[in-house]
Amino acid sequence: MEPTPFISVVVPVFNEEGNAPVLVQAVRDALTASGTWELILVDDGSSDRTGEVIRALAAADARVRMIPLARNYGQSTAMQAGFDHARGEIVVSMDGDLQNDPRDIPRLVAKLAEGYDLVAGYRVRRRDKLVTRKVPSWVANRLIRWVTGVAIRDNGCSLKAYRRELLERVRLYSDMHRFIPALAAAVAAARITELPVQHHPRLHGSSKYGLSRILKVAADLLTVKMIRSFRDRPLWMFGLAAAGATALGFAFALATVVAMLWFRPVKAHALIFPGAALLWFGLGCYLLILGLIAEGVVSAREAVEPEQPPLLREELR
Amino acid sequence: MTTLVGAAVTPRSGARDARSQDNAVAVSVIVPVSERADDLVGLYREFAAPLAAMGRAFELVFALEPWHRSHAKAVTELAAQGAPVRALVAGQALGESSLLRAAITHCRGGIVVTLPAYRRVEAACLPVLVDRIAAGADLVVATRSPRRDPWFNRLQAQVFHVLLRSATGTRFHDLGCGVQAVRREVLEQLPLHGDFLRFLPILATRHGYRVEEIAAQQHASDRGSRVYGPGTYLRRLIDVLGLYFLVRFTEKPLRFFGLVGSAVSLTGAALLLLLLIQRLQGKGLADRPLLLLAVLLVVLGVQATALGLVGEIIVHFSALHRRSYRLTPAALVPPAES
Repeated sequence: MEPTPFISVVVPVFNEEGNAPVLVQAVRDALTASGTWELILVDDGSSDRTGEVIRALAAADARVRMIPLARNYGQSTAMQAGFDHARGEIVVSMDGDLQNDPRDIPRLVAKLAEGYDLVAGYRVRRRDKLVTRKVPSWVANRLIRWVTGVAIRDNGCSLKAYRRELLERVRLYSDMHRFIPALAAAVAAARITELPVQHHPRLHGSSKYGLSRILKVAADLLTVKMIRSFRDRPLWMFGLAAAGATALGFAFALATVVAMLWFRPVKAHALIFPGAALLWFGLGCYLLILGLIAEGVVSAREAVEPEQPPLLREELR
Repeated sequence: MTTLVGAAVTPRSGARDARSQDNAVAVSVIVPVSERADDLVGLYREFAAPLAAMGRAFELVFALEPWHRSHAKAVTELAAQGAPVRALVAGQALGESSLLRAAITHCRGGIVVTLPAYRRVEAACLPVLVDRIAAGADLVVATRSPRRDPWFNRLQAQVFHVLLRSATGTRFHDLGCGVQAVRREVLEQLPLHGDFLRFLPILATRHGYRVEEIAAQQHASDRGSRVYGPGTYLRRLIDVLGLYFLVRFTEKPLRFFGLVGSAVSLTGAALLLLLLIQRLQGKGLADRPLLLLAVLLVVLGVQATALGLVGEIIVHFSALHRRSYRLTPAALVPPAES
């Protein structure tokens, strides 16, 4: 194997037999002046000839490596597989469909050297359909920025550069690749910035935002919000919710008293309001118990293997 | 790991000793003997013949529940006559899946075949299973085809498999058969807890292994009518639900619980809104039982969502330890350094 490279470019590919050779050549051209590098192509269980194509590419150039996954796992897991095999001090992730331009990589890497842990690209003059992609993406990015508090213009752009220490602390699963900056901020206290990058039109294929995708992103966003705000102390989150439920319980208990004292007591008064109060109290207890369980999970995890601490950078001036 | 005691070999001899004693065994056939059991000696004679004809070294390992000790005696007598059979007896009742799981550590073959203790398929299908593995498959499962059961049994099997296929996105036709051959390394990679051994082909597919299905002649004695107790049907249903969750939501529990929870909560909230509007129109709240239903729905929805969040915490914190993907190491370029 080649000596340890400085930059690792990680590209998950799924059914890109036509694009793969172009991609490899483009990366090769873009990185000639950038020192040592390696290109990790993760074959995410492609069903066409992508596997053979990239095997040949990897065999022809020692800087190109192929990581073959056993089936199609999806972008997050494929990207994580690439990160796991990356050896470079700096890791760059990119889409395999040629919509990103490898010529942007040196600029991202240079920006990283200014003292950032993550440099995210954002697509200027995006070449996508307006209604089906650009508008939903604009709304989603606004929402993500507002909920997570991480000011990234374009979460959907895969072209990003990371410092190795950051990736040792963040692990992608499910569909978390959409939320890498927010996760990096939550887990590692990463220094994050962004740069404009090129965007080329998609040559073939398309994907759309459907209702199910919106629901999925909404659920993931709630998860990321929880991780960002309450990762180290889930009991707070559940405790706050429990306090809310208990307050509602007291409100209904009060309503019971008021109804009994001030109005003509009817049998139903003795049932409906206290019943509702009990339901809210029950919810409060339940949430508190869940919070304790969550605390247990966090501390059990810490007992198995202590986490790497967040990143700090020493100021030299 | 559950301990099985080898009745033929020395008691509690470690699995590794057993393996190192005899590297010549290529195929291990494991027969878990739990509730139903045919005459084991007869079973051996019937199924050993085609295996012997195949020309590969093999063994039949019977894994028995404690109350089948008497069967174990018959098996050890066979072994004394030189037959390649072993009997392993559990100390406590285990059930078919756990018996199988425990027996795997004791068997020696590179190819493991699971076979029920009652005749499901004609013995002739065993060499076919083994050949498919030798040809490169990771797991081969036998399907009784054509089925010659009473219509009711065919119907219940079909309903179960339609549910299973839509829940897991796989297409298997007869997982109830229980006759399958699997590469040993594959078996060691898969999570075999609970009753999931029955669904090994589904798990193997999920881990990206090459899984094949072959048609096997149904055994003449398998064609009877079977109606199970309600508990069995309930267990199957719960299995399907468990697999559905396992396949789709293991890494994203909130997508399941959050969706269910917010749907229920929103229904409750809509009812509350309705009650509020009517209250403003002068209709009193205190004698509206609908209020209880509305609050209950909101509460249930919040509970489901909160549970989903706990699930997400567990997933998030275990992600650092979990290898969530499998590589095909042989295809790595450059090759992995060993």
